[in-house]
Amino acid sequence: MTDFITHAQLRDWLAALGGTHTLIAPRQVTPELVVYQAVHSPDDIAFGFSRAALSPKEFFLPATEAILTVERVRQLAAGDGSAQPDWEVRLAEPGMERDQVVFGIRPCDAHALTALDALLLKDPADAYYARRRERTALIGLACQQMGATCFCTSLGFTPDDRQGMDVMLVATGDGYALDTLTDKGQAITAGLNPADYKGEPPAREWPPAEFKVPPRQVWTRLFKDPYWGELADRCLSCKICAYVCPTCRCFDVRDYTVAQTPAYQKIERLRCWDACMADGYRRIAGGHNPRPDKLERLRNRFYCKFDYYPADFGPLACVGCGRCIDHCPVNVDVTEVLDAVNARS
Amino acid sequence: MIEQIRAKAREILENKTVDLVIGYQLGTRGAVRPAFVYTPDEVDRLVWNEACTHNLAAYLHAKRVPAKRGAPAPRIGLVLKACDGRALNVLLRENQVPREELYLIGVVCQGMQQPAGLQGRSLSQASPSGQLQLRCQACTERVPPAYDVLVGDPAGQKIDAAAQARQGALEQELQRLDGLSAAERRAFWDGEFERCLRCYACRQACPGCYCTECTAEQLDPEWVGIGIAIPEKRFFHTMRAYHLAGRCIGCDECARVCPVGVRLDLLNAWMRREVQRTFGYQAGMDATSPAPLTTFRPDEDLKL
Amino acid sequence: MMENPYLPYLGRLAGIQPLGTGIKLFKFQFDDPAAAREFSYRPGQFAFVSAFGVGEAPFGITSVTGLDDTVDFAVAKVGTVTRALHEMRPGDRVGLRGPMGNWFPLDAVKGNNVIFLGGGIGGAPLRPVITSILHDRDSYGDMIILWAARNPNLLVFTSEYDTWRQAPRTQLHLTVDEGTDGWSGNVGLITQLLQQVKPSPDNASVIICGPPIMIHFAILELQKMGFSSDQIITTLEAKMKCGIGKCGRCNVGEKYVCLHGPVFTYTEIKDFLESFV
Repeated sequence: MTDFITHAQLRDWLAALGGTHTLIAPRQVTPELVVYQAVHSPDDIAFGFSRAALSPKEFFLPATEAILTVERVRQLAAGDGSAQPDWEVRLAEPGMERDQVVFGIRPCDAHALTALDALLLKDPADAYYARRRERTALIGLACQQMGATCFCTSLGFTPDDRQGMDVMLVATGDGYALDTLTDKGQAITAGLNPADYKGEPPAREWPPAEFKVPPRQVWTRLFKDPYWGELADRCLSCKICAYVCPTCRCFDVRDYTVAQTPAYQKIERLRCWDACMADGYRRIAGGHNPRPDKLERLRNRFYCKFDYYPADFGPLACVGCGRCIDHCPVNVDVTEVLDAVNARS
Repeated sequence: MIEQIRAKAREILENKTVDLVIGYQLGTRGAVRPAFVYTPDEVDRLVWNEACTHNLAAYLHAKRVPAKRGAPAPRIGLVLKACDGRALNVLLRENQVPREELYLIGVVCQGMQQPAGLQGRSLSQASPSGQLQLRCQACTERVPPAYDVLVGDPAGQKIDAAAQARQGALEQELQRLDGLSAAERRAFWDGEFERCLRCYACRQACPGCYCTECTAEQLDPEWVGIGIAIPEKRFFHTMRAYHLAGRCIGCDECARVCPVGVRLDLLNAWMRREVQRTFGYQAGMDATSPAPLTTFRPDEDLKL
Repeated sequence: MMENPYLPYLGRLAGIQPLGTGIKLFKFQFDDPAAAREFSYRPGQFAFVSAFGVGEAPFGITSVTGLDDTVDFAVAKVGTVTRALHEMRPGDRVGLRGPMGNWFPLDAVKGNNVIFLGGGIGGAPLRPVITSILHDRDSYGDMIILWAARNPNLLVFTSEYDTWRQAPRTQLHLTVDEGTDGWSGNVGLITQLLQQVKPSPDNASVIICGPPIMIHFAILELQKMGFSSDQIITTLEAKMKCGIGKCGRCNVGEKYVCLHGPVFTYTEIKDFLESFV
């Protein structure tokens, strides 16, 4: 049964949630830029946004995250002191302070989380991502229209899709139609007093899908096609596409000493976003690099999204959000790539 | 002008002066993007308009030159704007590109328009506002410093009071920063760097950044950690600005490509001003003058 | 494996032995005896060793569950983590995450003659296979071990060579790219040694471990000699950060070396989209 809340009720509800949860919502951080951020008040929220420049993926897989802390404590040497000092080592898993609520997540980004689940929750589950997913509720906001670079309909869902959401909101003129979809959704709407939604909840007709995702066999056949070299000529091997992508998840890991005295060392093992586009991504100690050419790296990115990821984990690793199209400085356009692959199939 | 560019490109490909012409072509959704033309019959792909903003000198670095593994680096014909030509001068002076393997199709530039910025500011599509990019508004030299052939009429450049005014506006932004206390200025830049993702698009788009292994990614020794966090980001951007001091020609591609709009144009403009004040030097005006930070003059008195 | 797969087991380097120039054998002992008992692995699997403060890196395990009471790794000093390990002394504390990956199909090759091709330190994962076969000698046919290295000081597990030579129906052949004073053995590449030894493809399996380029040329040679793709088994390496299929770094085409490997037959490898070299 669909509920109805006014805009004022929404603000109050979010303010209340912000008291007990980390509230993540779209925020206008520069005149041109809306991104998801932890906000302290509904006043910070850009309610009228269309699609944030970055997805809320960083609240599930942070750009920088400690995955282990290590403390080394030197033990007092017994006896004559000539023995090498022993060090006690204590390991700790970094904690997560508060539960999270993401307000205003769009269907594409929710689908992206479901796609990431197929990899990150697969046994052995990534403990940190799993914990964030478990402890985060998603309040989805249906899109009113598709953006110029959006192509979610070509990926098999619509801009008002509810998959993955805990609560779904659809803006109507005077408020929002609200549906509580999961137990987690029930838990966060407990304090809300919505009215019943009068009449039929809004539903939209969406234009037909513009692009066709080629099946895996087509990609496999085209691996050595000269198209990839032509495409890669202009690629700068920056990491923008991977960093703005809601489904890219590759990361780097390294240890850092954060405190040190002669008898004590505290170390954080950090994991940070990384991308297969980078030059040295696969270079091993000793110097060999199996993907030295731009062609190989750019091709790997597309194959990972449309061939390898579905082969290994199930879903496609693309949700049609269009951010890579917006942000690529040299117009490497994934929809053009899909058309090109289809044309050569 | 485009017909002349295409004709010249066709000629140098046909007579094998070059193996490849790098210029601009139409992309998807109204964008313009770098074009790589390998055969004479493809030259009609080339375009010339106010969305040809990319600094093509960035494609001349050893690690980005399009080359098949094992093949010799191609001789390149380059469609060259004035600012890109200044970047090329820096590369030539630093022996990064052999001049004799380049054929420069210089074009007289009328300025590039601001990108449309559907979400961010980096889409290679001209904004319907028709406004020129800030760097173009301030530009006073629209003929490339060196070329093998020049397309367009140098006498037809429109340099006017507006350019002077824009330079004044940029100077005002720098003066506003000067007027801040150190703590306030640090807060301003931290605010900018907070958004930074360390995607390195700024570095990759920059003609001046050609190190085969960037200091920011070196692991042994590790100058800066992998964290995408304020301390590391301060280090990366400050270090990059210093490495570009006396070398940055102000194309502002770094700012254009940044997906989160970090004001790298302002950071590098500040550094250019300091180099001008300290050494009386502007990068890229020619390919041979000694550069201040890589030249030792025993008679120099900087009065610092 | 711990419930949080990023948490390592704690332990010490119970022993550190030189294996060759720039190569050492590290023997890991768990702090917790219960962890030691539950940590069981098979030849071919690998684990991440942590040098706390520097990082972690994956290494093939060279010991055998049940036969060795430590978990052993042969490590060449080539990067930051391996350098940190090489500077350690016995008793120093390190971490261990694993075991990871798949293993050599020892059951499937029972009854066959088994031919081993090892290349330098890259051949270290062969050692537990050889040891396992020696402990179940009658279940396997002849064993022909070919081991190559750039020079005699880079041949690993030399202390076990006599044991191998003296085992029933077992041959050991060595070759180096460059000899040194005192070396009276073969000089030449492993492919040349292979041509000399000329093992028969009948009822045989080949297990190759070494640098990718060596694997590539050895496979060409074996194919010329009549070995089919099914008979050729190898183990691949790649730069890794997690070892459990999350960080995305180690894929060769759609196969992740840590998830689908590191052990692969050539039948699988020849269908890989990307080259493993």
